[in-house]
Amino acid sequence: MPKRSRLDPAVDWIRLETTDEDWKAADPGLLTGMLAELHLIRAFEETVLELAGEGLVHGPAHSSIGQEGGAVGSIIGLRSADGVNGSHRGHHQFLAKALTHVSGGRFDTGALVPDEVDTVLQRTLAEILGLAQGFCRGRGGSMHLQWFEAGALGTNAIVGGGVPMGAGNAWAQRHAGTSDLTMSYFGDGAVNIGSVLETMNLAAAWRLPFGFFIENNLYAVSTTVQEVTGEARLSGRGPGFGIPAWQVDGMDPLAVHLATEEAAERMRAGDGPAVIEAEVYRFFHQNGPYPGSAFGYRPKDEETSWRGRDPIERVTRQLLDLGAMTQQEADGVREQAVQAMRDVASRLVEPDPESDGKRRIRPDLWPDPAFVDVGIRGDASELEGVRTLEPLDHDGETRSGRFVDAVAGVMQHRMEQDERIVVLGEDVHRLNGGTNGATKGLAKAFPDRVLGTPISENAFVGLGGGMALDGRFRPVVEFMYPDFLWVAADQVFNQIGKARHMFGGDNPVPLVLRTKVAMGSGYGSQHLMDPAGVFATSVGWRIVAPSTAADYVGLMNTALDLQDPVLVIEHIDLYPLTEDVPVDLDYRLPLGKAAVRRSGDDVTVLTYLSMVRHALEAVEQTGVDAEVIDLRWLDRASFDWDTVGESIKRTNAVLIVEQGAQGTSYGGWLADEVQRRFFDWLDQPVQRVTGSEASPSISKVLERAAIARTEEVVAGLERVVAGMGER
Amino acid sequence: MASVVRMPEVLANVTEAAVANWLVQKGQTVAVGAPLAEVETEKAVVEYAAEVEGTVLDLLVEEGQSVAVGEPIAVIGAPGEESSEAAPSGDAGIAGGAEPPVAADRAAIDEQAAAPEPETAPEAAASPVAGAPTALGAPHEGSGGAEEGGRRAVSPIVRRLARERGVDLARVPGTGPDGRVVRRDLERFLAGQPEPQEAPEPAAEPAPAPQRSAAPEPSRAAAPDAARFDEVPLTGMRRAIARRLTESKTTVPHFYVVGDVRMDALLDLRAQLNDGGDVRVSVNDLLVKAAAGAFKRVPDANATWAGTAIHRHRTVDVSIAVAIEGGLLTPVLRDVGSRSIGDVATASAELIDRARQGRLKQAELEGGAFSISNLGMHGVKEFSAIINPPQSAILAVGAASARPVVEDGRIEVRRVMTVTLSADHRVIDGALAAQWLAAFTDLVEHPMRILL
Ligand SMILES: Cc1ncc(C[n+]2csc(CCOP(=O)(O)OP(=O)(O)O)c2C)c(N)n1
Ligand SMILES: [Mg+2]
Repeated sequence: MPKRSRLDPAVDWIRLETTDEDWKAADPGLLTGMLAELHLIRAFEETVLELAGEGLVHGPAHSSIGQEGGAVGSIIGLRSADGVNGSHRGHHQFLAKALTHVSGGRFDTGALVPDEVDTVLQRTLAEILGLAQGFCRGRGGSMHLQWFEAGALGTNAIVGGGVPMGAGNAWAQRHAGTSDLTMSYFGDGAVNIGSVLETMNLAAAWRLPFGFFIENNLYAVSTTVQEVTGEARLSGRGPGFGIPAWQVDGMDPLAVHLATEEAAERMRAGDGPAVIEAEVYRFFHQNGPYPGSAFGYRPKDEETSWRGRDPIERVTRQLLDLGAMTQQEADGVREQAVQAMRDVASRLVEPDPESDGKRRIRPDLWPDPAFVDVGIRGDASELEGVRTLEPLDHDGETRSGRFVDAVAGVMQHRMEQDERIVVLGEDVHRLNGGTNGATKGLAKAFPDRVLGTPISENAFVGLGGGMALDGRFRPVVEFMYPDFLWVAADQVFNQIGKARHMFGGDNPVPLVLRTKVAMGSGYGSQHLMDPAGVFATSVGWRIVAPSTAADYVGLMNTALDLQDPVLVIEHIDLYPLTEDVPVDLDYRLPLGKAAVRRSGDDVTVLTYLSMVRHALEAVEQTGVDAEVIDLRWLDRASFDWDTVGESIKRTNAVLIVEQGAQGTSYGGWLADEVQRRFFDWLDQPVQRVTGSEASPSISKVLERAAIARTEEVVAGLERVVAGMGER
Repeated sequence: MASVVRMPEVLANVTEAAVANWLVQKGQTVAVGAPLAEVETEKAVVEYAAEVEGTVLDLLVEEGQSVAVGEPIAVIGAPGEESSEAAPSGDAGIAGGAEPPVAADRAAIDEQAAAPEPETAPEAAASPVAGAPTALGAPHEGSGGAEEGGRRAVSPIVRRLARERGVDLARVPGTGPDGRVVRRDLERFLAGQPEPQEAPEPAAEPAPAPQRSAAPEPSRAAAPDAARFDEVPLTGMRRAIARRLTESKTTVPHFYVVGDVRMDALLDLRAQLNDGGDVRVSVNDLLVKAAAGAFKRVPDANATWAGTAIHRHRTVDVSIAVAIEGGLLTPVLRDVGSRSIGDVATASAELIDRARQGRLKQAELEGGAFSISNLGMHGVKEFSAIINPPQSAILAVGAASARPVVEDGRIEVRRVMTVTLSADHRVIDGALAAQWLAAFTDLVEHPMRILL
């Protein structure tokens, strides 16, 4: 019989309920403020549903009616500098934060809607309707509401997707020396997604001032919480990660407020994150103006019983009981809120002259269609006046060293100059510079700014994204291998890549993501991709792929200057090469400038990274008079069409050379672009050199067969020569 | 005043819904919030409540009938408004308001749906019979791109250039994949050159080689400024010269040895040979023979670089540079060592003649390790030439002129010619080049030995 003893979590897991004493002790101004915010949000949401019913809300309108108590209770006590973000059902959180920001959480029941409040209501409704005056210029709509000034970091249509970025905000708050905190809101469905669970672990490990606020409304669309988890008391997730947790009745805003105060005290003191689970109920279905029972997944009497616990009625009753408010005053709050929303709506919609009895959006309020692509990335004006240097023309002093030392060297140099730079990734802080020595010396020189992460790419790159959006720090994130982008894809592409544009195009995301292509190293199918194609065909990222150490230094410096997310691709074949690098590591390579590595007249070879050398070798071997262009910048916004176009017009033939597998290849989009831009200049189809269809295997011969090197470029050049006809 | 009840948008972005059951009847009075109907979509059945109070004057859709969101489904009269008195206006409202527009809309929709038909029909009728080459991409009449049996491939740049220069592409043979007309074909056509099989390979340039660094150009000059010069399109030959000589000058390690050669004896011999003979022997023919003799004496120099080995040649083949219209060619005289001077003279005259007519064969331009380029007839004193790859040497010959020479301590006037040997150092070292030049000099100065 083995000896068994009971283990307990190291942190508390608490259910918090209010007593009459708590209500008596509460500041009546706070309670009035809660009632005001609850009413404003309720009237707002009713207006949204009304407009949705008229077909004026494009896309879903996820109503928060019924669950306002959780958001108001937790947010009314926060500072403007505290951050919140949330999911698809986020109107109430956004409004609570914005209203608290403009009002301090205190309202005059006789004049409920001063101008600032009216403006918040109007700009929020305008955003939900997709209008230019909205907080995100109509780009974001119902599911992407952001107002930095108020600490509203942005709601998210990927459930749980905002959680890692919220943690990044919390990291910045703590490391900037403030006692501010960030609270991220998500539902009982979202609690099961990796972003949330990875971030719980990461936030606990790094003791971030970060609150996980679970709005447990018992349903994810039509799926019940019991169906999808073995522990339906969702706050129980916290203790497993070492995070203290509170469970509260979310229909009781004061209970939520008190739990938040307890959690916030820990967070502000540097004791790490907290989980708060608020039990709430949405009175309507997932979206639209009908109850869930209409769809058959929950009974009407359950709805009736929860409606009896309406947070507005609860707070009103308590205020009346306390004698802090009269019924008349309470009715007046509701009336003013309803009237304010009627006024707001009438400024945005009008009777439709073409359809009797219908309303329409006021036509002059739509965004200009020309705005569609504005602000995908910055205008790079931050690069104005920086010292650029073209290594091809440099005749100053150089030092010879290994490529990989230039990688670590330039980072060390920049970290000395720019205290904002923070390096994070797996093992970047140990092994004398990570698995390849690319961060050598950094942890020793800057122990607080070189962060070894848990193995959770999605969470730590997303955390980097949150740091970047905050702006006080410059994250440099490393993915040990490029294929790990797939496990981090939500944060890399849905969040970091889209964040600027989706929220209106103004807020920059300056983040550098480094990774190394390792084809040839025997790591097999899941480690050896070239990420360039996937990033180039996803919106928002800039991409550099240096082929020389001197280029690396200049391109990394430019990447660190840019206000955009930049992928810096390295290659293990280049790391050991000994090369000359200008001694002063301070220079930048200009944005969007390719390098002609060899001039020629027969074919334009477009290539990058390690394949530049292979292409030059192949040209040498075949004697084809190729012009070899090292692209350096690979993304669509930074591509050097001047250099490439001038060459194609001369050679009339193009060979795109890359190393990796066909499916995710880089050259696909480029070939398409080349043929459309230069069709009338081509003498033969755009030719390509790629790896094979399969991802490279571990067997040495199969790996070699799967990737392109010099021999494959030779074959590609021969195809080009065949296409040139007879002499 | 009666109001029209419209089909609500039950779910976001649902465009159509049905009245599953009416929960009221015509003539019934309803309060705000009273259920009017059960509305059904694919996913949900929802009670729909009255938003105004009054009397139900009309139900416009039948149970089970689906209508678009926003369409009228019922009419409710103002409180007190009687069914009978409201009916005319209500009917007018519906009949005059809602119905006709719906009907009109339908008509519009039908018309739209029908519209393409009359247009497509005649086109379809006019299209070629089934089985004929697809109409898509078939050339328009008179465009001249079609060949028997189908579509003819022409590369985009060729189409563009042909358009610009007014070339009828039907006359341009295509040598690209599957007979595609490619840039080279058009260039050949424009240069008026013969068919590719017979097209000569342009070769080495005898012109003075500018002493430039071998570093490749970092980048290209900007696009030509049309106002300041005329753009001369490159011919295939010009491209080949540019490419091959750039390659030679940048990849072959050239070095040069220079010598002065007294020509008096050779010129005398030539005069004797030509005096009454039926073949005219040129100075160049004699120099070709002398070079061959020098290779016989120094066979190690008759070799070429082959990357992984050196090829030592068994016969002495000498290329002679021939200037022609628009460039130059270097036909090869085979096995010069074993041929008589007369034979060499005849063969060389014949090659030069055919070179000028553009009638050399590719094979006649290939091979050998050595070229002679003679600019003496233009009065050039001396120059150095670029090796014609894959050869390993070229002799640049200047003009013979009377010059003072010291012989046995005395100054004599002799006819002297300066020659410069460019050699590929990968194959020929300095001493070897010097030996060869000494042998050549000896033969030229003692020309009877050439004839042996
Ligand atoms: C990653 C992801 N998967 C699925 C969805 C589709 N979706 C939107 S909301 C939702 C349910 C979310 O439930 P919950 O987290 O409980 O939030 P609630 O809607 O109840 O507020 C789903 C499945 C999504 N937006 N993102
Ligand atoms: Mg839920």
